[in-house]
Amino acid sequence: MARKTSAASTDPAPRNDAISALFRAYSSNTSDRLKFIDAFLVFLILSGVIQFAYCVLVTNFPFNAFLAGFSSNVGQFVLTASLRSQVNPENKTEFKEVSPERAFADFVLGSIVLHFFVYNFLG
Amino acid sequence: MGTRYRSILANSWSLLTFLLVVFITFTSATSSKSASSTGDSVVVILDPAKKADYSIFLEELQAKGYTVTIRAPKDEKPLLIEDGVPNFSHVVFLASETKSFSKDINPQTLVELLSSGTNLVLTLGLKQNLLTSLAPEFSLLLPPPTTPLVSFFPERPEPPSVIPISVDTTSTPNDSFSVLSSDVGGSIWFSGTAFALSSNPLLFPILHAPAESFVGDLSDASGLVSDALADAAEKGGEGLWAGSSLAVVAGFQTLVGGGTGHGTDAGSGLEQQARVAWVGGASLFSDEFAKKQIVEKVHQERGMKVVGNASGNKQAALDITGWAFQERGVLRIDDVSHHKLNESGAVEMYTTNDEIVYTVHISSYNPSTRKWEPSSGLKDLQVDFTMLDPYVRTALLPVRGKPGAYSTTFRAPDQHGVFKFVINYKRKGFTHLHHTMTVPVVPPRHDGYPRFLSAAWPYYAGAISTSIGFLLFCTLYLAGEAKEEKKTKKE
Repeated sequence: MARKTSAASTDPAPRNDAISALFRAYSSNTSDRLKFIDAFLVFLILSGVIQFAYCVLVTNFPFNAFLAGFSSNVGQFVLTASLRSQVNPENKTEFKEVSPERAFADFVLGSIVLHFFVYNFLG
Repeated sequence: MGTRYRSILANSWSLLTFLLVVFITFTSATSSKSASSTGDSVVVILDPAKKADYSIFLEELQAKGYTVTIRAPKDEKPLLIEDGVPNFSHVVFLASETKSFSKDINPQTLVELLSSGTNLVLTLGLKQNLLTSLAPEFSLLLPPPTTPLVSFFPERPEPPSVIPISVDTTSTPNDSFSVLSSDVGGSIWFSGTAFALSSNPLLFPILHAPAESFVGDLSDASGLVSDALADAAEKGGEGLWAGSSLAVVAGFQTLVGGGTGHGTDAGSGLEQQARVAWVGGASLFSDEFAKKQIVEKVHQERGMKVVGNASGNKQAALDITGWAFQERGVLRIDDVSHHKLNESGAVEMYTTNDEIVYTVHISSYNPSTRKWEPSSGLKDLQVDFTMLDPYVRTALLPVRGKPGAYSTTFRAPDQHGVFKFVINYKRKGFTHLHHTMTVPVVPPRHDGYPRFLSAAWPYYAGAISTSIGFLLFCTLYLAGEAKEEKKTKKE
C-alpha cells in the first residue's frame, strides 16, 4: 500500500497519467494472491454500497435485516483486509510470529463466527 | 267411647283439610300460571258499578290465567306499592272518567311502578285527570280536554264520536311483529280522544286514527264542529288534531335495567323492562263495543248490500293488554360465547387481527305454551366490537340448524386495548336486548410475528451473496495455494 502512494506522488505527470501510472504500478508490483483478495474487497464494497443506497432511497423496513446484511459486508471487509495485510510479504517484519496459514485460519474462523451472528440477526 | 270417636273424627277432618290445602296449592301452582312472562296478578282500577260494562274483557283475562283484582278509584286498599315492592305485576287503568283518586294512585306511583317492572295499561278520558298530566312525560301530545275524536265517515247511524277504525292496512310497530295480531279482523269500534306522538324512540303507535277523523268539541251543537275546522283552516291547521298521524293506541317500552339478567356481565339486577299501553278511550275494552257489529255497505253486481260483521274489539283488547303484559314480543339473551376461528375453547384475550367467532342465543316467550323457545326470527341483529367507538359493526345472522343461535366471524382490529362485544337491539314492540362483554385485545408477543418477510429480500440477498462470496474466496484461495506449492516443488 505504502509503495503505491509513493509511486503516485513522485510522478509529476498530469492526472490521467497519474492514474494510469498508479494502475500500471499496481498491476506490475502486486502479486496475484493480493489482487484476488483486492477483487473480493471490491465486491464487498459494492455490495455494501448497494444495500446502503437501497436502505436510504427505498426502505429500511426490516431494519434488522438491513443491519445484518450491511454489517456482514463491513465485517467481511474488515476480516479480509486484515488477512490481506497479514499475508502481504512486505509486512513480514510486523507479523513475525503469524504465518500466512495461521492468518488464513484466523480469517476463516472469524468469518464463520461473523456469518453465524449475521444469519441469527437477519430474520 | 264418645270422646274417642270425636277425636278420631277431628283427626280425620284435619287430615282431610290438609289434603285439600295441598291439592289446592298444587293445582294453583300448575294451572294459574298466566300467559304473561312477568307475572299473573292484575289490578284493574275501575268503579265497581261499571264492572258489568267490561265483563267480557275481565273474563278473557281470567281465562288467560290472570288473577284479576278490582279496585275502586277511591279505595285505600289494596295498595299498588307496599313497602317499596309492587303488589301487582300489571295495572289496568279503566277509570278514565274519574277525576279524584285515593292518595296512592298518582303519577309518581305509576312511574315508580314502571321502574320496578310493572306493566301498565292506561286509558285516557275526555275529562282532565292525573293521566292527562302524566301523558306528556311519555311524549304524547293530548288535545284540549273534553274534545273527542270525531269522524263523519263512513256514513252510519252512530254519533260522529263513535268511530269504526279499520286495522287492515296498519302493521305496527314493524314488519316482523304486529301488536294487533291477524286475529283482529275488520274494524274496531272506538270512542274517545286521540293523541299526537312526539319523536320519542321508545314510543310507537299501535292503532292510528282514521285519515278523515279530527278532534273537535261536540258538546254544544253539531254546527260547532265545522266552526272549529274553519277556525283551524284560517290558522293554517295550527291547533287542530286531525288525520291518520294521530294515534288512538300507543305503546311505550321503558329502558330500565338495560340488561336481561342473563350472561356473564348483563349489568345490574334491574332486568325488568316495563311496558305501557296508552289507549284513547276505555270504551275500546267495553262489552258494548265488543258485541256491537260493524255494518258495512258492500258493492255488489246489483246495487249495495249491507253486511254486519263482528267487531275486532274483543281480540284487540286482548292483543293490546297481551303486548303490555309482556306476552308477545318478549325476547331474552340466553347465552353469549366467543372464540377464535378453528378453535373451540373460550380465550381470555385476543391478539390483534385474530379471527373471532361470536355467537349469541336468543329466546322468545311463547304465550300459548308459556315457555321460552329459541327464536331465529330476528333479521337485523348486529354486534359491535367497541373501544369507545365501534371498530367493527357486523350483522349477526341466524345459524342454520341451531335454533335461536346467531353468529358472525370477524377480524379483530389492528389495534390493542380493552374492547367490548356490544349487542344493543332496541326495536319497537320487542323487548330491548342489551348485552356487553369485555375482552382485551393485545399485540402479538415478541415471537408472534412472522420471522422472514418478503420485503427484506434485498438484504437477505446481500447477506447470502457475502457468504457465497466467502466460500468461493476460500476455495479459490486454497486452490491458489496448492498451485504455488506445486510450483515450489517443481523448482
